[in-house]
Amino acid sequence: MKKMVAALLICSLTASMLVAGCGSSESTGSTENGGDTGSTGSSGSREINILMEEVPDTTIVQNQIAAFEEETGIKVNIETIGYSSMHEKLLTQMIGATNAYDVVVVDCYWVGEFVTAGWLEDLGPYIEKSGFDTSQYVDSMMDMVGQVDGITYMIPFYNYMMSLIYRTDIFEDETLRTAYQTEFGMELTMPEDLEGYVELCKWITAQNYDYSGVVMQGARPDPTVVEWANYLFSCGGDFYDADGKVAINSEEAVKALDLYIDCMTNAAPEGSKNFNLDEAFNVFAQGDAFSFISYNWMIPKLDNENESSVTGLSELIPIPNGSSLNAGWGWGIPTNAPDKDSAWEFIQWIESAEVTKERALEGGSPTRADVMNDPDVLEKWPYLETVCEIMEDSKMFPIMEDATQLVEVLGRELSLAVAGDQTSQEALDNVSAEMADMQ
Amino acid sequence: MDKKRKKNFATFMFPSLLVLVIVLAIPMVYSLVVSFFDTSLKHRGLGNFTGLQNYIAALTDKYFMSSAATTFVFTIGVVMLEFLLGLGIALLLNTNVRGKNIYFSIIIIPMMITPVAVGLTWRLLLHSELGIVNYVLDLIGLTGKAWLADSKLALGTVMFIDVWQNVSYMVLVLQAGLVSLPMEPYEAAKVDGSSALQSFRYLTIPMMAPAFMTVLLMRAISALKTYDLIYVLTKGGPGISTEVISYHIYQEAFRDLELGSASAMSYLLVLVIIPIAVCFVKISKQKN
Repeated sequence: MKKMVAALLICSLTASMLVAGCGSSESTGSTENGGDTGSTGSSGSREINILMEEVPDTTIVQNQIAAFEEETGIKVNIETIGYSSMHEKLLTQMIGATNAYDVVVVDCYWVGEFVTAGWLEDLGPYIEKSGFDTSQYVDSMMDMVGQVDGITYMIPFYNYMMSLIYRTDIFEDETLRTAYQTEFGMELTMPEDLEGYVELCKWITAQNYDYSGVVMQGARPDPTVVEWANYLFSCGGDFYDADGKVAINSEEAVKALDLYIDCMTNAAPEGSKNFNLDEAFNVFAQGDAFSFISYNWMIPKLDNENESSVTGLSELIPIPNGSSLNAGWGWGIPTNAPDKDSAWEFIQWIESAEVTKERALEGGSPTRADVMNDPDVLEKWPYLETVCEIMEDSKMFPIMEDATQLVEVLGRELSLAVAGDQTSQEALDNVSAEMADMQ
Repeated sequence: MDKKRKKNFATFMFPSLLVLVIVLAIPMVYSLVVSFFDTSLKHRGLGNFTGLQNYIAALTDKYFMSSAATTFVFTIGVVMLEFLLGLGIALLLNTNVRGKNIYFSIIIIPMMITPVAVGLTWRLLLHSELGIVNYVLDLIGLTGKAWLADSKLALGTVMFIDVWQNVSYMVLVLQAGLVSLPMEPYEAAKVDGSSALQSFRYLTIPMMAPAFMTVLLMRAISALKTYDLIYVLTKGGPGISTEVISYHIYQEAFRDLELGSASAMSYLLVLVIIPIAVCFVKISKQKN
């Protein structure tokens, strides 16, 4: 009997560890200045904590906060963390009585969930009181990471709209040009549609040079979902149709997945099926791929000789005859934040025209139209002009309460289809069936 | 035990028991209660009582059942490999080989590294394009593989990494057991003309049985809970080829926010572990 009790205890311990313990293993992000929960120091000085993702825009913000601290006397602690751990880290804070963070950055597909749950403060009164001008933000950014049903919950921070990035020097390679001309009887240029682009990638890979036609980010769940969304939109598909009915298994969507699988299987390095954005970037930055669909803020990284061996050789263009996935992050204040006034003071400072322009010049990805069209910014980063153009035709991930769940389901089914375990139609029918129960 | 000793015992045990109740018993009972409700992290409170619905839904969920099967293959595979390798290394280290303390120190290094760091390091080493493993294979004329991106290879690769890290735990425990064995039976067997293999079969194995059972039990339970490596290496992919039960429960709880069904899944896993644990304990008792 005693042995039985011992065995039961071991098993119960396992159960409680499974439920309570498996949510935070990768929260190993670097922490700057601690990140404790107190918002007011022992001396009464004001202090705010912010949770941010480890991306270039965050690094730039970290370099800017000293000026804010000097100007306002408010100490800012920025805790950085990898994207994959961010949602659950935020979640545990949002559902509590008090929050460790005064300011949070919210990814576009968390918006529906956060707003429905009532986790984000209505910023309207703060905007009105301070006279903060939100009219300068690009409309699509305000629609995505700004307002929901006319209420402003966030101020757009940076955009990560995706598009096609390719190596310009490869099109100038005489050997490749001649081979292409001989085989197809036409000049080597970027095709005008997505099918042509996939065929070009396959052809380049088949030439057996020391680079492939494309590198892709096929890891579950987010990387593959956001990449495939570009194929979906470019083939004329969408998550929902105009009447709000699930359309993820439409003819266009199936075609998009067939093309995606074709490109992944026959043009991309085999490892692409498990690459995340960093790994895909590294392959491209090492000169091992002709093209990849990625975030527009990759261009400054690719032009940085400390991070890339293809500096000055990358160009961002629209997806051939297609629509890009528009995406972005917004600054928000949790409803359970300890110091909302200081939080707002920080947000309006970091999003002021002067500070956002400074961030854009450092390689940040702006969301304000005045900054995107600023002559100094455009002179340094001419690709932003293309970003503005692409953004006009871009589409966004649906804003819905169960968006995170949709990403999980879609990521799993896409991955199964790419692995050859099911057809495109079967994969998307499965997603459609599960989407029917999502809000 | 006299009255005073009993009082002292209770006084000294109370703080430990209190901590155990707070950090273990209360969450356990709470998670059991939650498993009968449609509790979601998106909404405050327990939600609606659903009875056994979460359990039925889990048992009819093909992805949960698939993750259970993957967990079974993973656990059996890594525990047996680690045990056999660990026993072999422990036996070698138990001989009079020169520099065995140095070998022992090197062998236990992987055990001291956190699984997340192990996963990230191996992910870099196994990178299909830029990783050193495929580079070395290429140098010796072999074709590199997409170790973590091929659904036929991914589970095996993750198992290899788990074995690489945890075999040292087996070595540590088994080596400690071997060192503590009495020498007299071996000397008597030698006098009687017993071979090394016979000594191993009829002396070492019976005397080491409790240590074998302990180490197998502990590793099996640990392998059933594997989460960190999967999270860092594959996130359950490609497809669902490496999706183990703990990762599935994590997705249910922290991505889909369905705490009720995640708790039910955890308790279903417990129902699987109970017979295994009881079985191990009984075998251990018989061997004793």
